[in-house]
Amino acid sequence: MRDVDVLIVGAGPAGAVAAWQTKQAAPEMDVVLLERDRAVGTPVRCAEGVGDAGLREFANPDGADWVARRITDVIFQAPDDTEVVLSGSGLGWVLDRTRFDAFLAAQAVAEGAEVLVGAEATAMARNGDGRWHVRVKQRGSEEIYRARVVIGADGVETMVGRWAGLETRVPARDMESCAQYVLQGIDFNPDAIYLQFSHAIAPGGYAWIFPKGVGVANVGLGLVALKTDGRNARQYLDAWIAQRFPTGARTGYTVGGVIVHTTIKKTYADGVLVAGDAAHMINPLSGGGITNAMKAGRLAGCTAAAAIRQHDTSERRLSAYHKAWMDLLGEDHLKYYRIKQALEQMDDAFLNSLARTVNRIEPAKRTIGRVFAHALLKHPQLIPVAARFFV
Amino acid sequence: MRRVTPIKIAAVDLDVCDRCGLCLPLCPPESIHLESNTLTVDRESCTGCEKCVAPCPVGALAMIPLVPSPESRVPVHA
Repeated sequence: MRDVDVLIVGAGPAGAVAAWQTKQAAPEMDVVLLERDRAVGTPVRCAEGVGDAGLREFANPDGADWVARRITDVIFQAPDDTEVVLSGSGLGWVLDRTRFDAFLAAQAVAEGAEVLVGAEATAMARNGDGRWHVRVKQRGSEEIYRARVVIGADGVETMVGRWAGLETRVPARDMESCAQYVLQGIDFNPDAIYLQFSHAIAPGGYAWIFPKGVGVANVGLGLVALKTDGRNARQYLDAWIAQRFPTGARTGYTVGGVIVHTTIKKTYADGVLVAGDAAHMINPLSGGGITNAMKAGRLAGCTAAAAIRQHDTSERRLSAYHKAWMDLLGEDHLKYYRIKQALEQMDDAFLNSLARTVNRIEPAKRTIGRVFAHALLKHPQLIPVAARFFV
Repeated sequence: MRRVTPIKIAAVDLDVCDRCGLCLPLCPPESIHLESNTLTVDRESCTGCEKCVAPCPVGALAMIPLVPSPESRVPVHA
């Protein structure tokens, strides 16, 4: 048995930042970060895109070796391939997640946290001593870690939340099934991310091209299984790529789930906090979750450190984390979720016509606000969508 | 709680499964487990609802007829 103050399950962006921030807030505490896989940052189950402002709260991307590509443009594509280009619509980055996650874990270690790789939490129970006893399997042997606070940053599976009795299940309509290849030798604008919305290509989601370099990109799609014709995500992706990039070399492949829901009702329990994908803290409209996870990790780490110092890790004390998250981003996600539901009603013919409408605005004047206003004027059926956003 | 014994339950083809974990939060009775890089379905609690089958990005899950087995939690090849 080993005693620790904070045990963090999962060394992705949420967990690594939680470890880093806990140690920064409370250097005297024992903080252990567990990673089930043999290397932090692998396997990559991500399109790796991230906005500039959110990223800079945690790390400077300028010249960093964990950056794959700087992005300046967004290109929306209608089902009929009509392109709507938003130039200079805000800076973004495509990361090298293997290096980025390792960089974040190294930050945690630099603050004094301990990282264990190949270490899998397999069960946990709260004992009479008011601590969580977590069973950890590593290299064939098992050890019990006794923790004052456990932070569940274990991604879509969210086992810590489940063990703590939190409601972490997802309705099928809010689960995006994703598949992605790394394609080499393909032709596209390497300074732009491409998002194509089409029920035929990616029902209930979208298809993407996220550049990793000139001629190299993460090319994938996410869809909602309830809306498909019976094919799985990989089959949809193979069909799209066969048509769009038939000669591209497939040098990497990944699949995974993105929960496009809203934050779970309760992200805390006695001695437990849940952060990142595990708490469904993904933007339900974009499917982006990296900076959200880091922000949640920071809140979780600071809350855990303060609670332990005050000798109060009760559910009541830890609920401050939930409130802080909801104020920061959770309430916004409720709005985005309503927009997502409204957008799902629009068919491919409408999306084609919307793209043409927007293209009548001069590119230089094509701000998100103006696109929105113009679209509302020409397509009154969008007004309920706008209303849902602002209500 | 008593449950109606399903005719079919979910089974995973471990040769196809990518261990992405997408199916775990979709399972209403939380019958799917991922441990030691192996996905298992708990045949005692699986209700045969099929909610895990279509969302699997690689089609690794399928429904199979429920047959008695001494092991309650085993990886079953579809």
